[in-house]
Amino acid sequence: MPGFQKQKYLIDFTLSALLRRKGKNTALVLVYALVVFVLASVLFFTQALRREAALVLAGAPEIVVQRLTAGRHDLIPESYADAIRNIRGVSDVSPRLWGYYYDPVFGANFTLLVPQEFPYGRGNIVIGQGVAEVSRSSIDNILPFWTHEGRLTSFKIAEIFSSDSQLISADLILISEPDFRSLFGLAEGVATNLVLTVKNAKERPIVAAKIKKLLPDTRPIIRDEILRTYDSLFNWRSGILLVVLAGAGLAFIIFAWDKATGLSAEERREIGILKAIGWETSDVILMKFWEGGIISLTSFLSGVLLAYVHVFFTSSFLFEPVLKGWAVIYPEFKLVPFVDAFHIATLFFLTVVPYTLATIVPAWRAAIVDPDAVLRT
Amino acid sequence: MRSLIAVLLAVLLLPVAAFAGEWPPVVPSAKDKCPVCGMVSAAFPDFLSQIIFADGSYVTFDGPKDMFRYLLRRKDGKTIGVIYVKDYYSLNYIDARQAFFVTGSDVYGPMGKELIPFSDKEDAKVFKKDHRGREILHFKDVTAEKLNQPDTSP
Repeated sequence: MPGFQKQKYLIDFTLSALLRRKGKNTALVLVYALVVFVLASVLFFTQALRREAALVLAGAPEIVVQRLTAGRHDLIPESYADAIRNIRGVSDVSPRLWGYYYDPVFGANFTLLVPQEFPYGRGNIVIGQGVAEVSRSSIDNILPFWTHEGRLTSFKIAEIFSSDSQLISADLILISEPDFRSLFGLAEGVATNLVLTVKNAKERPIVAAKIKKLLPDTRPIIRDEILRTYDSLFNWRSGILLVVLAGAGLAFIIFAWDKATGLSAEERREIGILKAIGWETSDVILMKFWEGGIISLTSFLSGVLLAYVHVFFTSSFLFEPVLKGWAVIYPEFKLVPFVDAFHIATLFFLTVVPYTLATIVPAWRAAIVDPDAVLRT
Repeated sequence: MRSLIAVLLAVLLLPVAAFAGEWPPVVPSAKDKCPVCGMVSAAFPDFLSQIIFADGSYVTFDGPKDMFRYLLRRKDGKTIGVIYVKDYYSLNYIDARQAFFVTGSDVYGPMGKELIPFSDKEDAKVFKKDHRGREILHFKDVTAEKLNQPDTSP
């Protein structure tokens, strides 16, 4: 196939031409890769966090009802559940008990939750994989806790669970209801909040409005609202990082534009010689196309690969403090690798394609000039 | 010996006969399109409606409105086994012929204004008040004129 052979020779020529100006091209690829790396890291990180939040919220109840006293979250009487149960569209209401416990020994904040059904009974707890690692404990060990009165009590670990999301298992401890009440000094008949099952998504805002009217001191929270809040939070955080890095991005664009659009006298001479020895204008343009393609593709691939390693293997140590923020109370956790093909494609079309196209126009302009005129200047 | 086989056969066939009167709801695939509007029924699980014929064949619809349109103009001559619609509040399948339908409400289905089904008349009354419905119709009261009223037709 002559066409294929021709391209092969052209690429061969382009590669050796690039190697002749080793220093300049290496610098270009490095800066280019750095910009792609930063952009891809932000993308990967926020995508993975967002997916993590979605995983956490997938099992969350459709509506949560809290009680507010003087604008602050307060314990809710379980009798409120009976009033809510009569609202049409609510198929289930149940009180939920949960809270935070700061462990001074391990210096970590744990989330204690009473599940709907706890099979192990009093004196037992079920802990997440992350908690087990932090406290270096295994099944049948005991974990000490200080009650609200300052007494020391301990629970036996009946089970250690793992989950898809490390955010969940990192700090979660499941406990029986009587143990929870005695640990935190909670009276009978009150709960942290109420969780509702409302099957029809269209009816959820109506149910929330009815609860607000029926029980004015409560605050109903719809799951979709939490998802939207998380979304805007992550958008805001990645936005801040992008603004900070915008300067670097602009500098690169100027640098790349300069490199790609303006041809040095040396390169014009080279094109003149190529034309003089019989190259067609189309050959010169093809050669420049391959040059732009090779440089931007190399930078793009290495940038994306480095970003993947950075985010999923080193927990994005470079800008973790800016992006995570709200998660510092958690013991260390790793994000589950997740890459969205759509985002990769967006990044590709914003970097590789414009760069490659930008290199072609000046090459075409140089290639249509008479070789004699180029060589004489 | 022959009587023993007869008894065995009778015992074996009894459950089949008992089940013949029941048609459980089908789970529509992406191939099951609404015969009235052509939309894929499975894409709208909250409004899914289906007619199951006595011979086991079925048609699925993206909403009760299209189910009624089909029912009112069909010429297939088949015997209907059961008609299922989904209760708005519980999203469970209910027998359409025992259901109540609220017209003209502000809840829109895949084809715009919809007849919203309920198994319980009290539920239908509350819904009508909450969502500014026009009237509550029993299955047999849904006629072509009702369907073509300006606020129930698309």
